[in-house]
Amino acid sequence: MSLSTEMERAHEPRDVDFSAAGRGVWLVKVPKYLSEQWKTCPNGTDVGKLKISKSKPTGKPDIIFTSFDVTSKSRPTSHDGVAQMAGPSIIQKPSSGMSGARNHQFLVTNVGNQNLVVMSQSKTDINGKELPIEKISIEGKVLQRAECHPIVDAQYRQLKKEQVQAQNTPQRQIKLLPGIVHSYKPVSDHFNFEDKKTKKAEKRSRAEKDKVMDVLFNAFEKHQFYNVKDLVGITKQPVPYLKEILKEICSYNMTAPHKNMWELKPEFRHYKSQDEAT
Amino acid sequence: MNPKTSFTKQTMDGSQHDHLSVRGGESVRQNAPPSAPSSISQEEFTVRIPRDTRRKFTMMKFGTGSSVDFSKIGEQPVKIERENNLKEYKTANDLDMLPKFGAGSEYGRDQKEESRRKKYGIMLKKYNPEDQPWHLKIGSGKQAKRYKGVREGTITENTSYYIFTKASDGAFEAFPVEEWYNFSPVLRYKYLNSEEAEEEYSRRDKTLNFFSIMVKKRLKKEEDHGDDDEEGKKGGKKSKKTKDLKQNIITFKCMGKIIYGVQGASKSHRTSLINFYHCSKAKKKKPKGGPKKAVKNSKKNSDDEAVEESDEGDFDDKEVDYMSDTGSSSSLSGLDAEDEKEKKYDEKGVDQEAGLRNILDSDAEDEDEEVGEKEDVEEEVEEKEEKKEEKKKADDDSSSSSSEDDSDLEKDAKLASAIFLQGGKKDKKEKREKQETSVAGESSQKADRRTPTPDKLKEKSVKRKAESSDGKSQPVKKHKSEDSSDGITEDAIRRYLMRKPMTTKGLLQKFKSKKLNMSNEKITHVIAQLLKKINPEKRTINKKLYLSLKKPE
Repeated sequence: MSLSTEMERAHEPRDVDFSAAGRGVWLVKVPKYLSEQWKTCPNGTDVGKLKISKSKPTGKPDIIFTSFDVTSKSRPTSHDGVAQMAGPSIIQKPSSGMSGARNHQFLVTNVGNQNLVVMSQSKTDINGKELPIEKISIEGKVLQRAECHPIVDAQYRQLKKEQVQAQNTPQRQIKLLPGIVHSYKPVSDHFNFEDKKTKKAEKRSRAEKDKVMDVLFNAFEKHQFYNVKDLVGITKQPVPYLKEILKEICSYNMTAPHKNMWELKPEFRHYKSQDEAT
Repeated sequence: MNPKTSFTKQTMDGSQHDHLSVRGGESVRQNAPPSAPSSISQEEFTVRIPRDTRRKFTMMKFGTGSSVDFSKIGEQPVKIERENNLKEYKTANDLDMLPKFGAGSEYGRDQKEESRRKKYGIMLKKYNPEDQPWHLKIGSGKQAKRYKGVREGTITENTSYYIFTKASDGAFEAFPVEEWYNFSPVLRYKYLNSEEAEEEYSRRDKTLNFFSIMVKKRLKKEEDHGDDDEEGKKGGKKSKKTKDLKQNIITFKCMGKIIYGVQGASKSHRTSLINFYHCSKAKKKKPKGGPKKAVKNSKKNSDDEAVEESDEGDFDDKEVDYMSDTGSSSSLSGLDAEDEKEKKYDEKGVDQEAGLRNILDSDAEDEDEEVGEKEDVEEEVEEKEEKKEEKKKADDDSSSSSSEDDSDLEKDAKLASAIFLQGGKKDKKEKREKQETSVAGESSQKADRRTPTPDKLKEKSVKRKAESSDGKSQPVKKHKSEDSSDGITEDAIRRYLMRKPMTTKGLLQKFKSKKLNMSNEKITHVIAQLLKKINPEKRTINKKLYLSLKKPE
């Protein structure tokens, strides 16, 4: 039940906080290798510097973005991650170590007639408290679009080369094992393994007819349709005996919606009153 | 292997070095070294990534037409919610369709379904409210604007976007954009679908009352509905009602035409209109089969005296699916199509008539009697022309495309034709003779005259000039007064013609480009008059008639 209320709540209309709607925002397309770094870096790290220089007061500004290497692997031991993947030949090259800072050019374009608005969903308060419903707020309007283009030089080419090589190394490789490895046949169900064997040995004995009928009526109160197998499980009676009783008080469905299922004969039913009650 | 030194080598700017050491502190710094020229201003900002995992940024893309500005909304409440598709999800996947207990329930159904799905490898997608489209509502009540935001899937697949905002300390903060939503307004009113819109567009110049488009649409729908009912023999009354309504509308239209026709004061049109009126009456009597027959009858009646009998292939165009200007109306229901056609002829006729009247007014002095005599003949011819045009439209090769909704040029040409027609009138007697000799040729000629192309225009003008050269003296005084007031002078035309041979159309264009304060009709009229006076040499080059003048020695 709690799940359904949660669903309900997720669909509830929410107020939108648009107090920050007037704020201008840049939308920047960032190369993949940068964004991957940025996704993993710790909170509040400086990832780069934007240098905006205007040669003429009216002309377009020249924007250069210098990114720092913020990957954890490149800091202390500079070529751990890359070198392993790329093979030993790269290590000797001086460029692999100084992938620290890199210049990018910002190509700034107008938004055109697109109307881009930034929205944020946050699950917590300003104080860090969990909100029952995530808060929706408008964070601003995109004033300019920019594309962060790497400046293609030897350094960049080196990086791409490494990437391609890393991409092309097969994920699974052959390894020569030093000794013999013992293998065991897998068992999927350890817990019920023993149980099953004993269950099969169990024999069902016939009980008194009235008692069985009581159990059956009880069962049919809960649901209208039952499979023979299920009834066998419920009553714990041998199949031929159970069928004998079922033939007396139940009818067998041969056709589609409840095929191969037993239901009570109409004269024994009293579902209708139940339906009206609910 | 020191990264810093190598970096400074790479950067062109020397001051970069000390900035690296500043890092994170007061990040905005005006970099104005004394040596640098004052025109170059440089600013530097650090870019920071505040890791706020509980905040998710999405991009809302509004359509180009919508003017949603959240900063200008003011006090209106803005609400947003996820579309609730839980029910749809359940019905689509057959979940929770049967009662869980009591009547109609099966024992252990859910588990069985589950195991069945597993057996066949069907993976059910869990319903996730976060994946549902957004519903944005600005304002409240009936005035509220509603938008639906659908997620755009492909844009974030291979690219990564970041939002750069300015933090309070001046540095840039970069947030990743995780999702893109495309917001489009939700329309609550009915609109024409693309086919209907196309149809209405095709008669855009003819429809005067745009409000009636939607009314007609509704009527049509009702009628369709009514037909269905009739089949069921249930709501026969209702359908009758709608049909009556429709007939009323038709008769009303006809009345309007008649009034129009009376104003136009042309016998031919009046007769044709009366015919239409009759046909509408016929429609009243038998709404389905009637109209077509009636129209045909009317044609025959008016054709009584005409020489021509219907030829083979005359009605070919009836079978044509698509005609240049009225073809789209063929998709209408029978009644409508007929009606539309009638309308078309009517308008054309009136249009032409207006031109004719102009001529009559201007040249009333010298041609009064003649016109009077020839009016009757003219009428017949005109009527025939109308029919001819309709028949020939499909197979007429060059001029067929010229119809009223073409370009402005074409329209001008038509106007010109109306003026030049007067010249043609005099030839009509000759033409009548020709008609009798060769029916086919005549018909084509007439079709041409009805929808004149530049070539034909020139021909006519030539005829006219020929006439004038016969020695008829023009009312010179009248023209002179006109000339002085307009900027189209005889001299100007002479100059143009002396410079190089020109077509009449070219001349027209020349004067039109001068932006005189005259209607096109008037310009053509004046030019025609002047040309008559000048009487230049004519030569046909490439089937086009060029006028030229020799320089006076």
